[in-house]
Amino acid sequence: MKLWHSFIKELKLAFRGFYIYIEIFMAVLLLVILLFAVPEKFVSKQSEYIHLNLPQMVKESFLQRMEDNDLDGKSELIEIKNDGEVIKVQFFESDTRKIYLVDNKEDVIKLADKKQQLGAIIKLDDSYNLAYEYYLQGYESQRLKNLFSIIHVENSDILQTTLDEQDVRPLSTSYEQLTDRQNILPSVLTFNGSLLGLFLIAGYIFLDKKEGVIKAYAVSAASVWQYLLSKVGVLMLTGIISSLIVVLPIMGLQPNYWALILFLLTTVFLSSTLGLLVASFYEDFLQSFGSIFLILMAMVIPNIAYFIPGWNPFWVKILPSYPMLEGFKEILLKNGDITYVLWLSFGFLAAGIILFLISNKRYKKTLTV
Amino acid sequence: MITVQNLYHSYNKDDRYAVKNVSFEVQKGEIFGFLGPSGAGKSTTQGILTGLLQLQQGEVSVAGYDVKRSSPEMFNKIGMSFEQSNVYSKLTAKENLQFYRKLFDVETREPKELLKLVGLEGKGDIQAGEFSKGMKHRLTFARSMLNNPELWFLDEPTTGLDPAIAAEIKDIIKRDNKKGVTVFLTTHNMFIAEELCDRVAFIIDGEIKLIDSPRNLKLQYGEKLVEVEYIENGKSVREKFSTVLDKDKKRLQDIIGNYEIQTMHTKEATLEEIFIKVTGRGLV
Repeated sequence: MKLWHSFIKELKLAFRGFYIYIEIFMAVLLLVILLFAVPEKFVSKQSEYIHLNLPQMVKESFLQRMEDNDLDGKSELIEIKNDGEVIKVQFFESDTRKIYLVDNKEDVIKLADKKQQLGAIIKLDDSYNLAYEYYLQGYESQRLKNLFSIIHVENSDILQTTLDEQDVRPLSTSYEQLTDRQNILPSVLTFNGSLLGLFLIAGYIFLDKKEGVIKAYAVSAASVWQYLLSKVGVLMLTGIISSLIVVLPIMGLQPNYWALILFLLTTVFLSSTLGLLVASFYEDFLQSFGSIFLILMAMVIPNIAYFIPGWNPFWVKILPSYPMLEGFKEILLKNGDITYVLWLSFGFLAAGIILFLISNKRYKKTLTV
Repeated sequence: MITVQNLYHSYNKDDRYAVKNVSFEVQKGEIFGFLGPSGAGKSTTQGILTGLLQLQQGEVSVAGYDVKRSSPEMFNKIGMSFEQSNVYSKLTAKENLQFYRKLFDVETREPKELLKLVGLEGKGDIQAGEFSKGMKHRLTFARSMLNNPELWFLDEPTTGLDPAIAAEIKDIIKRDNKKGVTVFLTTHNMFIAEELCDRVAFIIDGEIKLIDSPRNLKLQYGEKLVEVEYIENGKSVREKFSTVLDKDKKRLQDIIGNYEIQTMHTKEATLEEIFIKVTGRGLV
């Protein structure tokens, strides 16, 4: 009962303070960004500025092919403003590319430079074969440069035929993917849902130290663990609220919400007990800021591995935020591996209990000093 | 109620002791004053007795509990009023008391009754953060009474209070003491100690210099004086005479017989004067 009363008191304090509103505001802000600024699918069409320095007949053949590939089957005449100068171009848009047909080579170079896009001159060489002159930005990879060097060696029709003849069969047909928007959610849940506890609990502890109320608690018939766990409980609750604010509108009823809540509870438990332990070494928030910042930054690293699957060295996998990201992703997938999520939850709970026991021991000694 | 034997404490865990070889006993129903200037070791001793500081060396028993192996149950018998007010500023006065009363396993007093007792009647629904310093201090004091403590630790209970409120607080202390509550009073205010305490301990530089009742100390160290203001040759003269020395007694009789007396007061040495005499140090 003492734990319950402490929890209710902490909840009142949280709702009369400002930390919780920051958390909820951040959740709403992230939701708005995800809904209105992040597309379901990231579609990036390459823009190309091209000048056709070709005889009229060849040029018309090129234009015909581009119109055939255009989304609405015809080009548009548009004006591009570039450093106060207006450049008239013919615009084509296909599924994968936006092509701006420019009248002269100088304008191609100017636009490629200003827009930081690919520029190309297509012309005939001395033997009346097509020749391609590319204007790159300089930071393109060697692979791309090599590709430009060899792509015109063979006839492009042969390349297309070869590609069409290749048979690609997926090994697993049940594998599903999240949309690009949904794919951002594990990162949001990890940092705004789970790991925020690390930072917030330190704030709550130092606020109590400043008011001196810890001393009053210490001379009551309640135990230190009840004081600490009541704070962790509030963070668990607010972590669930702020996470659901983001997940529900984006994912609907697709995720396994029981698994999500369990995973949030255990991950918030781990991060807040880690925060408790760190805070036990310091007198105030300013002193602890360096350590908390360092830990949070370390936790950000697995986020890079999450978005760049090709880079995930072993040491990144040891950081708790790595399995957190993986766990949240499995929960959000329609047929995610819930057994894996349960094992992770168990691991976070066990680690959290160990950290909590150490913190409890330390706070018994240092709470009132 | 309290037994302390050979208590030592060092914040740096070296031989620079904040408290050294302190021993004393407080009997049940007694008001025991722990007096000394800032940094003398009063708060350190009180911190160890209330479990706020870890016992490093010595034997300490409080309300029948060995402080080394103290458990939260010990605090059902103890009340503690802090010098620095420490209440939740975001909670109302009533919520503060309601919360803390639920942390005890014994019968507790009604917050409304306590608020009335300390002069905060009608202020129960105001957040403590909006209280003045004195009101917060009274709320802290009220909180210390929640569990009907058998042993009451009071750290500067009247500091920062206006004289009327301070008098009420002193009356509450006297009243509860009459009901059998033992009081451990930490203060540097000798007047409140003199008024309330059955016995006092003078502590300085971490060591207890003396323990006795204020009356015995006055008898032992105080000079009994009479201060007289009289008119001599048209001028007002003020003099002090010992009521013990024959020479002074005769001179006093002479003045009373021959001069116009304007004022005459008996003057006892104050506890503060005795403290300075015994320790050679002031109380600031």
